[in-house]
Amino acid sequence: MKAKILIVDDSSVSRMMIRGRIAGLQPDWEILEAADGDQALASVAADAPNFITMDVNMPGMSGFEAVEKIRLLNKNVKIVILTANIQESSRDKAQQLGVQFVQKPATLAAVQQAVDYFLAAST
Amino acid sequence: MRLNSLELDALTEIFNHGVGQAARALSQLASEEVLLSVPKVQELAKRDITDQLDARGADRICAVRQGFTGVINTEALLMFPVEQSLQLVQLMVGDNVPLEQLSEMEQESLAEIGNILLNSVVGSVADMLKIEFEGSLPQVELGRSTEVLCPDGDFDNLILSLQINFEIASRKIQGYLVFLLDVASSDMLERKLAAFIGALE
Repeated sequence: MKAKILIVDDSSVSRMMIRGRIAGLQPDWEILEAADGDQALASVAADAPNFITMDVNMPGMSGFEAVEKIRLLNKNVKIVILTANIQESSRDKAQQLGVQFVQKPATLAAVQQAVDYFLAAST
Repeated sequence: MRLNSLELDALTEIFNHGVGQAARALSQLASEEVLLSVPKVQELAKRDITDQLDARGADRICAVRQGFTGVINTEALLMFPVEQSLQLVQLMVGDNVPLEQLSEMEQESLAEIGNILLNSVVGSVADMLKIEFEGSLPQVELGRSTEVLCPDGDFDNLILSLQINFEIASRKIQGYLVFLLDVASSDMLERKLAAFIGALE
């Protein structure tokens, strides 16, 4: 399956880890990056990604705010919250927004979990 | 804040759970087992902590500072001897990255490791005390322990100190975690601990 995935994370090291793992798991996917919520919104409008991994704690708007705004642009894009913020309140917010929650660190297993969700949600 | 022995015991148990989460995260990053000591929770003057760090030859430290706000406001500081910072970065990015590139990524990698470890501990505290924290962005600081911990020169301030010893098979990494609390937050922490203990009785 060919797909476009957008990695949203303010940490370039995190983006590098996630990009490397996705490229290994899904070599055909086009990988885009955004360092904050505003860049993510611009990319959703311009590039129409199929999937998004979204950090929560970022400068400017939080990942949750970004998800709400992205939903107004594109209802169908599949989103995984990939965050170190493991509080139950964060998991609850993800559930309320109808997005998947995966806990950092962005290990191969964590990224695999996100990719599996994207693939399952797309069928 | 002067916590009694039962409250300190409860806080140790809560932190123990959080440190377990942090160790799990470190272990996933390192792909190795992480051994850790039971966290030592104490109320100490800042001077005692800088003295302990200096006694270990860790007078220059690398720290990740992150603020957490909610009904309790705290600033968490994760501190490591500066010579261990590159080992931590290697945990994050792997051993195959050349040293020059490793140095370039050092600050950002440390910020992300601090973010993961601090959120593991703080997230557990939040869930167990039934409160919610909003975290700021992590900031990395390098310097003498006194400069990082006591930028205002006040060495006698009491702070909540959590000492953790992590040991990863291939590298020995030792960390200190401290929480700086204002008076109102200290009072709230005592109340939340009392409620936590009350629910157990």
